[in-house]
This record gives sequence, C-alpha cells and structure tokens, in this order.
Amino acid sequence: MSKTWYRSLRELENTAEFQEMLHREFPEAASEFPKGLSRRRWLQIMGSSLALAGVSGCRFEAETLAPFATRPANRIPGKTQQFNTTVEIAGQARALRATSYDGRPIKLDGNPDHLSSGGASDSYTQATILDLYDPDRGQTPIESTGGSKFNRSWIEADTFLTEQFSQFAGSKGDGLCVLAESTSSPTAQRLKTALQDKFPQMKWFDYSSLSPVNSRGGATLAFGKPVRTEYDLESAAVVVTIDSDLLGQHPEGLRNARSFSRGRNPDSEQMTRLYAVECEFTGTAVAADHRVALRPSQIAGFLASVEQALASDEETHAADESAPWSQQVFAALVDDLKKHPGQSVITVGERQPVEVHALAHRLNQQLGNIGKTITLLPDESSADTFDEFVTHAEANGGSMLLLLGGNPVYDSPADVEVADLMEKFENRVHFAVYPNETSAVCNWYLPMSHPLECWSDATLYDGTYGVAQPLIEPLFESRSQIEFLAGLLGEETDGLELVRQTARELYPELKSTREWERVVHNGFHADSTAKPITPELQNFEGPAASTEWQNPVEVTNGELEVVFTTDSSVLDGRFANNAWLQELPHPLTKMTWSNAAIMSPKTADALGVKDDDVVRLELDGRQIELPVYVQPGQATGSVAVAIGYGRTHAGLVGGDVEEGVAPVGVNAGVIRTAGNRYFATGLKVSPTGRREELAVTQDHYAIDKVGLEEIHGRVGDLVREGTLDEYREHPEFAEHRVHHPPLESLWTEVSYDGHAWGMAIDLNKCIGCNACVVACQSENNVPVVGPDQVRASREMHWMKVDRYFTGDTEEPEVATQPVTCQHCENAPCEQVCPVAATVHSNEGLNDMAYNRCIGTRYCGNNCPYKVRRFNFLDYRDEMEAANRELMNLVLNPEVTVRSRGVMEKCTYCVQRIQNTRIEAKNERRPIGPNEIQTACQQVCASEAIVFGDLNNPESDVAKAHADARAYGLLAELNVKPRTKYLARIRNPHPWLAPPVESAHGHGGDGHGEEAHGEHAHADERHDAEVSHNSVPAPTQELREEQV
Amino acid sequence: MATALAAPVDTTIEDPTRRPPLVTGDHDYQSITDTIHSISEHKTPRAWYIAFAVSSTATVTFFLLIGYLIYQGVGVWGNNNPVFWGWPIVNFVFWVGIGHAGTLISAILFLFRQNWRTSVNRFAEAMTIFAVVCAGIFPGIHVGRVWFAYWLAPYPATRLDMWPNFRSPLLWDVFAVSTYATVSLLFWYMGMIPDLATFRDRSKSKIKQFVYGVFALGWNGSARHWHRYEKAYMLLAALATPLVLSVHTVVSFDFAVAQLPGWHATIFPPYFVAGAVFSGFAMVITLMVPARKWFGLKDLVTLRHLENMCKVILATGSMVGFAYAIEFFIAWYGGNPYEGFAFINRAFGPYAWAYWTMVSCNVIAPQFFWIKKVRTTPWMMFIICIFVNIGMWFERFVITVTSLSRDFLPSSWAYFKPTPIDMAMFACSFGLFFTLFLLFCRYLPIVAMAEVKSVMPVPESEAKNDAQA
Repeated sequence: MSKTWYRSLRELENTAEFQEMLHREFPEAASEFPKGLSRRRWLQIMGSSLALAGVSGCRFEAETLAPFATRPANRIPGKTQQFNTTVEIAGQARALRATSYDGRPIKLDGNPDHLSSGGASDSYTQATILDLYDPDRGQTPIESTGGSKFNRSWIEADTFLTEQFSQFAGSKGDGLCVLAESTSSPTAQRLKTALQDKFPQMKWFDYSSLSPVNSRGGATLAFGKPVRTEYDLESAAVVVTIDSDLLGQHPEGLRNARSFSRGRNPDSEQMTRLYAVECEFTGTAVAADHRVALRPSQIAGFLASVEQALASDEETHAADESAPWSQQVFAALVDDLKKHPGQSVITVGERQPVEVHALAHRLNQQLGNIGKTITLLPDESSADTFDEFVTHAEANGGSMLLLLGGNPVYDSPADVEVADLMEKFENRVHFAVYPNETSAVCNWYLPMSHPLECWSDATLYDGTYGVAQPLIEPLFESRSQIEFLAGLLGEETDGLELVRQTARELYPELKSTREWERVVHNGFHADSTAKPITPELQNFEGPAASTEWQNPVEVTNGELEVVFTTDSSVLDGRFANNAWLQELPHPLTKMTWSNAAIMSPKTADALGVKDDDVVRLELDGRQIELPVYVQPGQATGSVAVAIGYGRTHAGLVGGDVEEGVAPVGVNAGVIRTAGNRYFATGLKVSPTGRREELAVTQDHYAIDKVGLEEIHGRVGDLVREGTLDEYREHPEFAEHRVHHPPLESLWTEVSYDGHAWGMAIDLNKCIGCNACVVACQSENNVPVVGPDQVRASREMHWMKVDRYFTGDTEEPEVATQPVTCQHCENAPCEQVCPVAATVHSNEGLNDMAYNRCIGTRYCGNNCPYKVRRFNFLDYRDEMEAANRELMNLVLNPEVTVRSRGVMEKCTYCVQRIQNTRIEAKNERRPIGPNEIQTACQQVCASEAIVFGDLNNPESDVAKAHADARAYGLLAELNVKPRTKYLARIRNPHPWLAPPVESAHGHGGDGHGEEAHGEHAHADERHDAEVSHNSVPAPTQELREEQV
Repeated sequence: MATALAAPVDTTIEDPTRRPPLVTGDHDYQSITDTIHSISEHKTPRAWYIAFAVSSTATVTFFLLIGYLIYQGVGVWGNNNPVFWGWPIVNFVFWVGIGHAGTLISAILFLFRQNWRTSVNRFAEAMTIFAVVCAGIFPGIHVGRVWFAYWLAPYPATRLDMWPNFRSPLLWDVFAVSTYATVSLLFWYMGMIPDLATFRDRSKSKIKQFVYGVFALGWNGSARHWHRYEKAYMLLAALATPLVLSVHTVVSFDFAVAQLPGWHATIFPPYFVAGAVFSGFAMVITLMVPARKWFGLKDLVTLRHLENMCKVILATGSMVGFAYAIEFFIAWYGGNPYEGFAFINRAFGPYAWAYWTMVSCNVIAPQFFWIKKVRTTPWMMFIICIFVNIGMWFERFVITVTSLSRDFLPSSWAYFKPTPIDMAMFACSFGLFFTLFLLFCRYLPIVAMAEVKSVMPVPESEAKNDAQA
C-alpha cells in the first residue's frame, strides 16, 4: 500500500485551478511576458531589424540577426533612412513614407510620389507612429477562462486553433463565423476566398463603424453600382459641400485640400468659391466663402430645392438683405451653379442619407461636372454586412466566432447587443492590435501586428495597389493579419511570400523580382490606378424639395437634433489610447481629452445651459451625460456629439476600467442606434446641475465683455483678410491695415549675409486641420501633459492654430492662424534672458540652448506671441515609469528631450537645416532653394507653409515674403519677425459681398507711393484709430461665452 | 533726576515756533538704557514663546514647501502660459518694497538731519533686512532649475567660457538686490555697535557677554571710536541713499524694460520707489504700534513719530495714486491700442476685483491721514496700514498677473489661478519674517539707544550720572 504524498491541501483536493497552476511556470498573477520590452529583447529586435532595413527585410529564421561586423555599403549609422509603405487606417489605405533611425521607425509622412497626399499627411497618420510603441497593445495571446485571464504563448493558441479548425475541416466550416473589419488588402481578400473555398459552410461578414454605407448606397442608387469620386477642385469655379468635410475627413481629404488650395489663388483668373452647407463646423467650412448652418434633416430639402431652382428657367435674383441667411446664400449658390456649368463640384458627406448622395451625383451630371471636375472610379471595396451578421448570429449562433480586428462591442449601434450575440458562439476569438471591449467578452485574444511591423498590401482610394513593408520586427508576440489567415488555411505563413503571390496573381508584370522590388521601393504599383468610368445615370426618386430650411429654427427641447461626429482626435475610438491625438485640440472647439455636447449660443440660451454645465442627453429612452461646449456656427437646434470617447478597455491613456483608469470622455454610442447612426431628432437636454471644466487650449474660460470687445477689435489686425475685389483694387491692403510710427533701431542692425531662414504661412490656404501640430510633436519630441495641465494652460505644443470667430453667432465666419516661434530678428526673448540661454544664430534663428536655461521664464513673458513653452513639471516621468520605457523609442534622436524647468519652443526644425547643410557640404553644392522642409510644412496638405532661405530669391519663401499680401504679425512692435503671413482673401458672391471699402481708410489716395517700409504718418493718433476702425464690425455681437 | 520732559506732553503740536520733545516721560540716559536693555534682560515672556512657536512652525513649513517645490518643479504653483510669473514674483516685489523704509529712515533722514528718526531707525532697519531675506528667497526658488541659479552670478566660468547676459534686467536685479541687502546689513550692524557694547557690558551671562562682545568689536566708547563711528556712519548713509532709490528702480525695470502692455512704461521707476516707501512705512507702523505698547516704548516712539510716518504714508500714497492716474492717462494719450486695453482690462476685466482692492487700499485708505485724529490714534493708523499692506501686495499682483494674463494675441489669454501651495508659501514667508523679528526683539537693542540719547533735551551737566552707564 503506497502512501499519497501531497504538496499542499490544494493538491489533495486536486482542483481545476491547481491543475492549471501545475502547468504554468508562474502563478496566475505574475505576467509571463514583461509588460514593456526588456532591454535584451530590444537588442535582439534591433539587431535583426538593422539587418532587415533594406527592401527584403523580414523576420523569418533564414533572414534574421546579422550583426554588423562589417558595415553594409551606403549605411551610415545614425543617419535616417526612408522607406515607402502603405498603412490602412479604418479601412482607408494611405501611401506613406516612414523615416527610420537605425532600424527604428520614428516618423510617418505621406508618400510624396503618390497623388493621394503628395507628401502631406493628416494627424492620424502622424500619430500612428506612437501606437507602434504603445505598451498597451496586445503583447501576447490571452485566454480567458473561468473569469480569469491567462497569458499564453502562440504555441498554446495554435494548439487551440488547430484543434478547432480540424473539426471545421470535417464540417466544411459549419458553425464557424468570421466578423472581419473591412480591409482593402487584396491579399486578405485572396485568403478570405481561399478560406471560403476550404470551409464552404463558413460565414464571413465585414464590418466597420466607419464604412461608407451611405455614399456607397447613393452611388448605387444613382449609377447602379458603387463608384468613388475624385475631384479636381483646382479647376472648379464653385465647390458646394453638403454636410461634407471634403478637405478633412473625406478619404481623399489631403488630395482635395491640396487641389482646393491651388485653385484658391487670388492672383489667378478664377479663384474657387466654396459654399458649405452643414450642421457642425467642419474644417472645410473654415475655408468656405459662404457657410449655412442647417440641421442635418433640413439638408436634403435644401439640395432638392437647389435642383428645383436649377431646373427652372427663371432668372435667379439676389435674396432680400433682410431674408434669412440661408435664403441669401441659396440664391447666390444657384446663381453661381447656373453660371459655371461644368466648372462646379457638389459633394455630399457620409452623414446624409442615400438619396442625397444620389441627388448630388445627378446634379453633377446635369451640370456637366462629371468628366470635367469630377472623375468617377470603380469602387471594388466589399460592402458592410454587419446587419447580416446580426441576423445570422441571432438565428444560428455557432461553435466559433472569429473577430478579425474591429471593436463591435464598443462601436456597433446601441440597440444591437453584440456582447449577447457573441455569447451564442461557444468560442470567441478576437485577433486585433489592441485588446479592447470586444476582447473582454472573448475567450481568446490574439495580438495582431502593427502595420509597420509586417508585410501587407492595400488598395488605395484611387484603386492603386500599395505594398506595406515591415519597418521593424514585431515588438510583441504578434502576427500580421495575412499570416494569421494563412495559418488558418494551414499554408505557408511568410508574409512577404503571401503578398508577392497576390501581386503576381493580380499583376503578372510583378513576377520579376526587379519589378517587384521597384514596387516595394515606390510603395505602390503606379500602373494599377483605376481607370475612370462613365456609368449611366439611373432614374430614381430624389429627396423631396422642402422649404423647411428657409426659416430660422425654433429651439424646442425634446425635438432637438443630435448629430454624431467622428472625432478629429480619436476618430471612431480607435485612437483613444493615443496621447498625441487625445491632447490635440479640436480644430474648432480647441477641446482636448474629452467630447462634449456642442451647441450654438442660441440653442444653449434657449436651453438655459452654458459652457461646462453637465447635461443629460436623452434620446428614445437612452441617455448620456456630457458637459456643454457652446460653439458658434453649430446649426441652431442641434447638438453635436463626437463618438469614440468613453472607452473602457482602451489602455492606460484612453481608459481601462480594469486597471482603474477612468475613460476619457463619454461614450456617445450609447444613444446611437442602428436607425440613427448619423443623426436623430427628438433629443431632450436637461441640466444635471453639475459642472465639469473642459480642457481647452484657447479661450480657457467664459470670456467677459471687455475681453470680447477687444478681441473683435483686434482680430482684424492679427488675421488680416479682405475680399477678392478689395485685393484686386489694393493688393497691399494687408500691410496697411496697421499703422505705426517709424520703426527705428537704437543700434546698427545685424545683417545676414549667408543664409537667412524664414517662413511664410498663407492664411488663404490654411484650413486649421492640425496636422502641423502633431507633425511638430512627432518631429520635435513635444511632450504630452494631460488634461489637468491643459486646464492649467500649460500645453506644450510648439505650434498652435489660433481660431477666431467673427460675425453672427449662429452663422459666424472663422479665421485660423497657425502660430509658432516667429524667430524675430529683434527678439524680445533674447534680450531679457539673464543667462543668455536664448540667442540668435548668424542665420537668423532664435536658438534655445536648453542646457543653459535655468527657467526664469522671463523670455516667455516678453514674447508677444506667447509661443514659448515651459516644462513646469517633469512631463516625461510617465515615459520613465516601469513598463512604459518602450514609448521612448518614438523619440526623434536628433532633437534634445527637454528636462523639467526648461523653456522650449519651435526651432524652425533646426535639425533638418543641419542635415541638409551637411549633405550639401559633402556633395560640394549649395543648399537648394526649397530643399529644406520643416515638419509642419511637410505635412501641410494645402501647402500653406513654406520655409527656406530669404536670401535666395529663388526660394518660395523669399517670393512669399515679397508677395503683396505678406505682413508680419505684430510687426509694429519692431521685433522683425522672420515668419510672415499672407493675408486671407475671401471670394464672396457679389450679392453677399460687403461693399468694397477703401483698403485702409485713406481712400485710393496714392498711398502706395509712400515709403512702405515705414508707414510713417504725421498724425499717429489718427492712424491708431484707423487700425481699429478698419476692422469689419461684427454684424451681431457674439455672446459672452464664445470667443 | 527728571531730565526728560515729564509726560503727558502733546508731541503732536503744529506750532512751528515750539519744538516738541522727541523723548517724553521721565527719562534720563540711564532709564533709556534700562528700558531697552530690560526687553532682552528680563525673563522671556510666555507671549513671546507662543508667537515664536507659531512663526517658527510657519518658517519650517516654508522650507518644507520649498523642498517640495524643488522636488516637483514650479508646476506646483499656479503659473501658466501666459502668466509665467505669478505669486512668487508678486511676493518678491512685495517684500523688497517693504524693505525700503528702513534704509530710507536711517540713511536719507539721517542725511537730512531728521532727528526723529533715531527712535525708529533700528526697528525699521531690522525690518528691512528681514524683508529682504524673504524677498531674496522668492526669485531664487522661482527659477525652473534652482540648482543652476548660480549661473546668474557673473563668475568667470572657464568651462563654459560664458558670462551672464548683461542686457537682462533680471541680472541687474541680482546686483541691485544683493548690493542693497549687503549695504543695509552693514549699515544696520554698524549702527548697532555702540548699543551692542552696552548690551555686552550689562549682560550677566558669559555666553551673552562673549557673543555681544564679539559683535561689539571691542567698542569702548572712546572719543576716537565715536569720531570714527560717526564718520563711517555718515559715509554708509551716503552710500545707502542712492541704493534706496536704485533697488526698486531696478526691480521696476524687470517690468518696464519688457515690452508687455501694462509693464512697458517709463513711469515705473519713480512709481515703484514711491510705492516701496509707502509700503515700507506702512509695515513699520504695523509693527511699531503693537511693539511700542508691548515693550513700553511710548516715551521713545512718541505719537509725533507715528504721526510723521503717517505723513510720509500720506505723501507717498498720494504719489502712488497719482501714478495710477498717469498710467491710465498715458495709456489713452499714447494711443497704443494694446496698452489701452491692458488698463481697461485691469479696471473692468476679470481681475477688476484685484484692481479695485488695490485702489481702495492704496489710494483711498491713506487719505484718512489728512485727519489729525486718525494719524495720531495708533489703532486707527494700524488699521489703515494693514490696508496699505494688502493694497501694495495687490498692486504687484495687478501689475504682474493681469498684464500677463491678457497680452497681444487673444488666443493665448488665460486666467491665472493660484494653487494652495502658492498661498501657503506666501503665508509662510511671513513666518520667516516674524521669526527673525522676534529673535531681533528678544536679543538685540530694538531702539538705537546711543542715538536717542543724542537727541534728548538734556543739558550736558545734568547727564553726568549717566557717563558711568
């Protein structure tokens, strides 16, 4: 008889938990894989990625780990290299160029060789690099059983999957259901088809909360099949955006912005005129000449009325000046469309229903725009089939639900209980980059690689085939989507081979390795761009014409309209854990780290609420509570709420309730149902009595009357603008707006004989999209400070985009102005620094010696632009925290990381100047006129920013400084700013234009013959008055809370 | 015996033909010495211990807060962008301003032969030194990297081959304040030597004898010593006089040289000096009114002394009020729209409450000193002087914070909110001030005995008894 020996009572009991423990190396609580990245692991990755930095870089055994015993040719350690790649964000492929420093990607920009961006990029692209180094990404497979989570290896995960799929092989895939986030990747599509062949009973559904359901449906209604539209805004005379952020969130926003800004040239024969009819203030409307704020439900009627008016033969007359603004604009719009057949563009945003999209196609066809300003391309993307998934899951359930990416538990309509539907499947497997709300209800989470870590491909908006190459070996235990799919098929899982196979099948010419390498090098296959199509216009019933839009809206609580907007920071929530984007001020509200109930002053008044009041929004029995943000220009009677906030499982930045990190903002998805995905009527707003201070970077408080009046008086001097007629009559109106005594110096001015770096910002082109702000953050290691510090007015962005409203609060005009260090030749900051930490270079840069700075902050006080940023606290401490060091890898090694107690500011990207200088010197040539690009300039889609050598007359910046519209901001202080602004020119319809005044209150009295450098006038007091009076008086005082 | 005029005597007479006595009561040389020395000779009163416990606790808290500040960074204060300078600079200017009365009384009034100064100068000078100590701490800890603050000093840094920027008013400030602190300290100490010798001679404890003896520098009251002492005192007075004017002039340059609307004004130097004298005298009265009661100094610091100081406050307060008016006039007359707004914003913007607090306390309150009853009634002048102290703190707050919070670009405007740390540090700086002051009252001659004796109307012959003392 043998004794039974036991190690503990629990062994004696032999519970399931004990069995579990036996098989684990560490107890449950201990993580098996380090949370951050260990130094050892990092060195491994570094070594291999260095070896793979070339075109053929990959991470499979045969190719890994080749230490540089001898340096490869043309490789200079510490010198950045650039690689073209393609990254998909929410199903939208982007052709990008990544900058890599010793095998580590540090920056993403648009691929200048592809038309979709021309080298520009938006804030999402810029911030994607931060996600790569986010330690909150999935690091290892996780299995949830019995309410606990266990870190697993891929071996264990594969065992599970193999077991499952061997069963499916027998049942032909019966019981297997796949819900995949929409992707444009041809390889993923090929593997999907292969899977469907292998498992014919398998159900596959595509889903994305941002899928363009309406525009797709509209095109199908109009042309019988989905089409994509490309716009030539440069040659268009009239552009009408109907509830559309054409220059911003539109998939081709960058291309549109560039094309629009080129057509927006006041020196050309024909300057594009932009009408915006919309609900919430979009970035596009910033550039608009005329904007009408309508509730989304009124917009269909508006466009139908346009069709009606275009169809009638009656001559269009200007509306009466006393008529509501919408009618005045309507008349002008119809007049313009009639006068410019074939030269206009009408575009509708995704929010509007299918019929409105179709109607826009019909109008464009009738106006003869298609084929001229509009090109139609075939739309090969797969349709969203989420509804079918819901039906299928409800009816059948199954043995396994495989979710490829996405986060339906969070972002699907509120009336679809996805979590309950998922319970109908025995096994739920979520394969995604981040573990999220959906992973939380799955029993397996499998980490997906970041797009910069793997081979892939994608189809760009214009149909071009783009290839994605890995810039770095996966930082965590992750797999790419195509490798994972190939693994399910039981096939070879070499990412490169998978993509090549697709490329070979689609484009036989890519069979040659040489051609293939060329495509990888370029990032896309240039010959694959879709050919324009000319589909036949179908007969369909457009939306009914109505006159509802003509009259001002009465605000009735309970019948308000709620509008759901995708957010300029977190998009649909996928960027919730991205601190750069969370801290990025919204272009119009300047709000960070939160969403809000955005309403116009009139609406807020009628509801009796004001800024920061927390209100309850009730819609069909569902409710959320949000603080109010009062925004001029939001359509009266509507409330805009951004989706993408209130994430509960985003990570330590965006909110992780399991880790005790409160969600950022409030989830508006709770009141967003399948029928009301974009907007809904019947909203009730009730105050809760609580207040919550929003973190905004401009207008930190409800402003008083004194300040408000002053802003009105001042804005005209700061952001100078005129109409096209005014400009043609007095091209130099901007410089004459402010008069001042002669600017003389007490000492001999320094002359700059070598290079003289300078910048010019064209306010006519800027649409305030914020890409420059994130680009600067990425390039210059600008820290993130968090909402509390933003509330304390301590945000660190080197570049800020100021925005000012003028005019009626319900129909305001807005002006944006990017402001960064102006590198004054006569810099006030330099004179007052007691330790000479900020000094002038002999090329005119206002340099900041961080090592010398002791932080008296006197320079900040004396800077009239207030662009100096002070490290009040150690804003890097979170990066130094245990397990967060990985984030340090995003830092640009060419830019010093500033410590606590030090002042910092824009350097004109001095590291880029130096790099180019060294390069030019090595090549024994002068620096080219436009060779150096600052980070902000590089991303700017509308080409508003130019930089270069003012001493080189060939340079764009020298030309811009010589432009008639150029003026120095606050130049009357004699600081001699090196950045000049080009005045904004509005191009109003003659019926709506203000009467052309003399440019500066002097009449055309030959003022131009005077010495313009000085603007000296005998009667200075008179001039001072002029500077105030010439500001266009607001037609109606803005209410106190707004500006 | 009765050499001094017997009380009660009205010392506040306005009749120019009669010279009121500077010392009242039944005082002779001996009793003067007795009165002053008894303060430190007697057993320490319980009230002193209580006061010292409170103030030293505050002092310790002050240094703990400084430690916390250095550990965390200046973000523990409410400073922001654009208000890069907040309460610490306000406190600095406030304390420097207070530190003006002492040297003014001892140096300028000495040169002008204003004999009434003798009773109050020691007291006022001590206050000056302690205020400058408090003032000196704030700019020191205000910088972002305190451990490099020594870079402000113009030392030949061989490794860096770099000097400070001599164009910066902050650097001038370093020189001005440190020079002022040094000269004030020297002047105070030098003036105290004869009295320290008296304390040395009258002390019974060995330790006291030794310590006072060391600081008395072997003073024996010989004619040669007196001769040299008086020469040196006059020279130091002459040296200190321009400093009284220069230090706050230079402090005002911190603002005036900057181009910020609301700071950039040529009126600042005289305006700041007047304000400093104003606040300094107010603080002297604030301290003197209770002190003369508690320490039994009513015969030495007579009502006339207090009245004289009230008159100075009235004069300088009116100057300050005039400066406020001129600032507004120039803001309008100068035609600079930014400056114009800076002043409208002060008076009617979000900080209007601070502005009107300042005007009420600094312009209106001292006007009550036109009434003789007010300027000869200690409790009334005490209350008014408290108001002046508050008002002068707000003056610096208004200048520093309101100007910064709204400058050129409306996009950068922001409201400044102090944090509890801001408030605690300011409050605790008073702890340091009072700790030093209590120590002074306890251990040093709080009235310049030797000088007071020199202005007593006592015939030489009748004072021979005191020669031994």
